[in-house]
Amino acid sequence: MPAAIPVRTEIAGRALKVTNLDKVLYPLVGFTKAQVIAYYVNVAPVMLAHIEDRGVTFKRWPDGITAEPFFNKRAPSHRPDWIGTCVGPGDKGKGIEYPMLSEVAALAWSANLAALEIHGPMARCGEIDSPSILVFDLDPGDPATIIECCQVALSIRSVLETIGLEAFAKTSGSTGMQLYVPLNTPHTHQHASDFALAVAQLLEKQQPNAVTANMAKKQRTNKIFIDWSQNSRHKTTIAPYSLRGKDRPTVSTPISWDEVSDGADGEWLSFEADEVLERIEEFGDLFADVVTMEQALPVGRD
Amino acid sequence: MARPIWSGSVSFGLVNIPVKLFSAVSRKNVRFNQIEASTGARIKQKRVSSVTGEEVDYAEIVKGYELPSGEYVTIAPEELDALDPEAVKTIDLQEFVDLVDIDPVFYDSPYYLAPSPDTQKPYKLLVTAMEEAGKVGIAKFVMRSKQYLAAIRPVDGRLMLSTMVYADELVAPTAVELFDGLDDVEVTDRELGMARQLISSLEADFEPEKFSDTYRLAVLEMIDRKVAGEEAIIAAPAEEEMGSVVDLMAALEASVAEAKKARTRHPTAKAESASKKKPAKKTTAKKKAAAKKPAKKAPAKKAAAKKTAAKKPVKKAS
Repeated sequence: MPAAIPVRTEIAGRALKVTNLDKVLYPLVGFTKAQVIAYYVNVAPVMLAHIEDRGVTFKRWPDGITAEPFFNKRAPSHRPDWIGTCVGPGDKGKGIEYPMLSEVAALAWSANLAALEIHGPMARCGEIDSPSILVFDLDPGDPATIIECCQVALSIRSVLETIGLEAFAKTSGSTGMQLYVPLNTPHTHQHASDFALAVAQLLEKQQPNAVTANMAKKQRTNKIFIDWSQNSRHKTTIAPYSLRGKDRPTVSTPISWDEVSDGADGEWLSFEADEVLERIEEFGDLFADVVTMEQALPVGRD
Repeated sequence: MARPIWSGSVSFGLVNIPVKLFSAVSRKNVRFNQIEASTGARIKQKRVSSVTGEEVDYAEIVKGYELPSGEYVTIAPEELDALDPEAVKTIDLQEFVDLVDIDPVFYDSPYYLAPSPDTQKPYKLLVTAMEEAGKVGIAKFVMRSKQYLAAIRPVDGRLMLSTMVYADELVAPTAVELFDGLDDVEVTDRELGMARQLISSLEADFEPEKFSDTYRLAVLEMIDRKVAGEEAIIAAPAEEEMGSVVDLMAALEASVAEAKKARTRHPTAKAESASKKKPAKKTTAKKKAAAKKPAKKAPAKKAAAKKTAAKKPVKKAS
């Protein structure tokens, strides 16, 4: 079958060539590129708000998840002319033109590049020195799992509550989870990073057996590493609703705090593409407030 | 037969010997083509006009030399050839030197200098004379609009020409900052003794045949493996028409339906569809529960989440 011949398609008024639709990208479950593209097209109505104004980074698996992936920061030069770009942090002080996915056809385009994972910076394009989100990236050190992540997430939430900050949770789609604290007001990356570190260190002190703020791998065994450093200017985090390049088409899925509580009690939180679309039908975008909610981090006094 | 890359004559004094130049090296680099990852299409380079964006025919292209003003002086190939008609067809032997006096850094690429069938005699004379004198001829000649410095020496009764870099083309070591301070570093006799020992233990006669590009072999082997396993091979796409425009979702649905059909036809279909429904037992059970639960709770939450968030007592994490 001449699979590599591009199929000329149209979506939402945009012409898009797609290729290798029947290529299996997740061999364990037979999930094909057509299904990947369909997922991204279907999730676009809720996902776009979280990425449309950011220069994103792709992690691409052109030969499926059993082959080597590669990171793709620079917007491919052969992109359609309706794919916008945003200059973001690059190597050696020079900027890089990152692609921007601002419409449903753009998500179909990146999916066709086998960009299974879409990673986004905390700052919006045009305001790349002011993060709109603070992130706590909770990374379980073996043999800890997402269950312990949920427990730590609840602890973080109660710390944030004492200073009136609201946070939103999502699974990473891999082994951990992330908490997003919407800012949407001017902050520096340093401020966000310092604050996240302070919270991480506080919890490390309170629960030394369960939490570490230390990046060293061997310190992490059976602990949850609260990765505060994800708030750096050059770091990106898996975008809400992005697929992951794992054995199965799991998704970084926004979850409610009730679900986090259930997760802390041992319920396994992992969602695949189809389930995520069903959830959206039912609950809409549990992350909607992350885009708009304005909050300010406490200002340090020295 | 190899193709000459230059023809003219070797000239010294009053003697003029017609010769042709052949490359003495055939590079064995593994050649890759540029392919678009998503489609497998070959990448084509087009010469396009920066003004019209349209492709420009080779015959239409001339060399341009940029002036400080940003304007160009254009120069046709014939004009370059006409510049020094002698130089473009003459390898001019200027002096004879000792081989050991030439630092190897000056050598660039090696070529064979071969005679025409009817000038073998004078060629042989020159080779023999140079062999007896034990000298290397230093010559200048012009090839592809550049004047080369060259060393010509007899090897097994044949002349070899090595193009050389000019002294003013060599980069001074001072341009490499990492060398700074190297001269001030001191080493002890003991350290030096150990290094000498190491070197002498590895002493050998240079036998070039001993060495081959093992990395290239590894690349070729990897390619063989890929071909055998048929993984990661991107089929070359047909270049012509791709058919009419279809709705993306329709194309996706058709592809998914086709894939499902193919799976049921496949002998392992049963095993696959079974594993599709029932993944790892553990996750299924848990996932189902997870998928159902929010169905009951979340809708209420969606509206109330923000307000209750602050009040609701949080389960202790311990």
